[in-house]
Amino acid sequence: MSSNNKPFFVGYLSAPGPLRRFLLAICVLFIVGFAALGLTLGVAQDDPGPGAFRFDYGRQTVTGVIELTPYPLVRVTIGNDRIKPGTTLMLAGQGKSSVDKRAIPLEGQLAKVSGVVLQRGDLNMLQLRGGRNGISAVEGAASKQTREPLGRWKLAGEICDGKCLAGAMRPGRGLAHKACANLCLLGGVPPVFVSTQEVDGSEFLLITGPDGDALPKSAYDYVAQFITVEGDVERRGDLLVFRMDPDTLEVLE
Amino acid sequence: MSVKYVPVQWNKNKWIYDWVMLLGVAVFLYVFLYASPGILSHERPINPQVHNARAFGACAFVMLTVILCIGPLARLDKRFLPLLYNRRHFGVMTTFVAITHASYIIDWYFAFASSDKYEALLFANTSYGQLSGFPFEVFGIFALSVLIILAVTSHDFWMKFLTAPVWKRIHYLIYPAYLSVVAHVSLGILQDQQAHAFTVIFISGATAVGVLHLLAAIHERRQDKAITAQPATWIDVCDVSDMTEGFARIKLLPDGKRVAVFLMDGQLSAISNACAHQNGPLGEGRIIACLVTCPWHGFQYNVRNGQSPAPFTEKVPTYNLRMQGTSVQVDPNANPPGTPVDPVPSPLHPQTEGAT
Repeated sequence: MSSNNKPFFVGYLSAPGPLRRFLLAICVLFIVGFAALGLTLGVAQDDPGPGAFRFDYGRQTVTGVIELTPYPLVRVTIGNDRIKPGTTLMLAGQGKSSVDKRAIPLEGQLAKVSGVVLQRGDLNMLQLRGGRNGISAVEGAASKQTREPLGRWKLAGEICDGKCLAGAMRPGRGLAHKACANLCLLGGVPPVFVSTQEVDGSEFLLITGPDGDALPKSAYDYVAQFITVEGDVERRGDLLVFRMDPDTLEVLE
Repeated sequence: MSVKYVPVQWNKNKWIYDWVMLLGVAVFLYVFLYASPGILSHERPINPQVHNARAFGACAFVMLTVILCIGPLARLDKRFLPLLYNRRHFGVMTTFVAITHASYIIDWYFAFASSDKYEALLFANTSYGQLSGFPFEVFGIFALSVLIILAVTSHDFWMKFLTAPVWKRIHYLIYPAYLSVVAHVSLGILQDQQAHAFTVIFISGATAVGVLHLLAAIHERRQDKAITAQPATWIDVCDVSDMTEGFARIKLLPDGKRVAVFLMDGQLSAISNACAHQNGPLGEGRIIACLVTCPWHGFQYNVRNGQSPAPFTEKVPTYNLRMQGTSVQVDPNANPPGTPVDPVPSPLHPQTEGAT
């Protein structure tokens, strides 16, 4: 029960003397504690990786052959100082959107593409400008891309959306980013499998459905998770394409 | 106490409370947002939107953890009661910090798509059948909704409008909200962390909340055991020699209600232990200027009739007392709130007139 020798605090009256020292200590502890927690939590953030929009390159315009995997790519034939001929660029629109409507009619044709490069290691993407400024047909013969089958592989890693992974967002992968990745994939952004071990020299593979069609919807539940999945890998220039078999997908703990 | 509703009834202690709270939050955010990036040796910085979202999210979690520790700490050690006094302001500030966190997330991860960002929040991830990859955003939505409801209804107007028991039950939603925050963090950012500082702080904070509530519950249970009464027409409260002038003895009645028996001016009076404001324990308060003063927010009552002094209108039930030898006994049937009851003189204490 109460005893009369203990200080009694009433909110609208001044705090009793003996309680003031205690409350002062609590105030100091509170402020110092919040500062310490802010610093500890602030410096405990993981490195989001090297991916980035390369605005420092400026707007890039190159010519190449449009290919569908079914996700649109451009295999550069006439490059520039930054983008060499033979480079394969995945294509994406502004935000979480694809460029399918503009690229599909140009499949197998030469086209001039223009936009901002996103780059993470050997993963390259071009975010196209709007309308015909971003992509337009040009005269000339388009050479056919050779496809080199690399056999069936069982890979461990993570399905990501290629744009955030390439640097549109930092961090652009992981479970906290899963909903964003799903939105990108729903918008038609090319999906990329990040393998824990390199396949023919690359850890990034553009991932498609088993017949070279779009990523199956059933795989969306496993985006951003650590999984194993089997499928056929094929090299198209400097890009690897992984045709996953959804029946073999397993979540790793 | 108030006879009219104003946004905030400021006083010196509330100003100090709010300034300390704001300073703590400002320092946390400043250090997280502006000091830590210089220390991080990342090749490329985290996106400002994500960095901001993390800072405000972490701050909201820490604030909520501190808020939930205050209650049990005050039950275990009365010196923490002043922290309870203006806790509502702390809660409202936490809601604003949490809303800022949610805004950064929605305007970043759920924006830039052809769909509405709020709709996208609900359909972007629907993997409800699995633990890993579960749409942890729903836990955040629930917790934030509760915080907003609690912040909006935090004013005394709503307490009066809803009545204290209903208001209190609504505000107990803070516990499912905190559990929801724990799930939100556990299934979200914790799944991605390589550095474990946040994991350690998060687990420590959530454990502190759980352990303190457990300790407070055990403490309260022990106290209740000591003051629980068996059903009877008149119930023994204590020996009158145990009474102290200006203080109370509490008894837990068979109907689950508590009665506080006070000794004032050498005479005994009994009122409900539950303050009409927020059900604060009046029996753990004391008599100041002839009025029982609640230890939580300083609401006052005349111990002889359970009424707040004019112009205030709060009332609590009163109880009838009698002396059996030196034993103080209470009739477990409460009188309607505000019913005057003649005090019972204590045979052991001098009866005086005037203030205590």
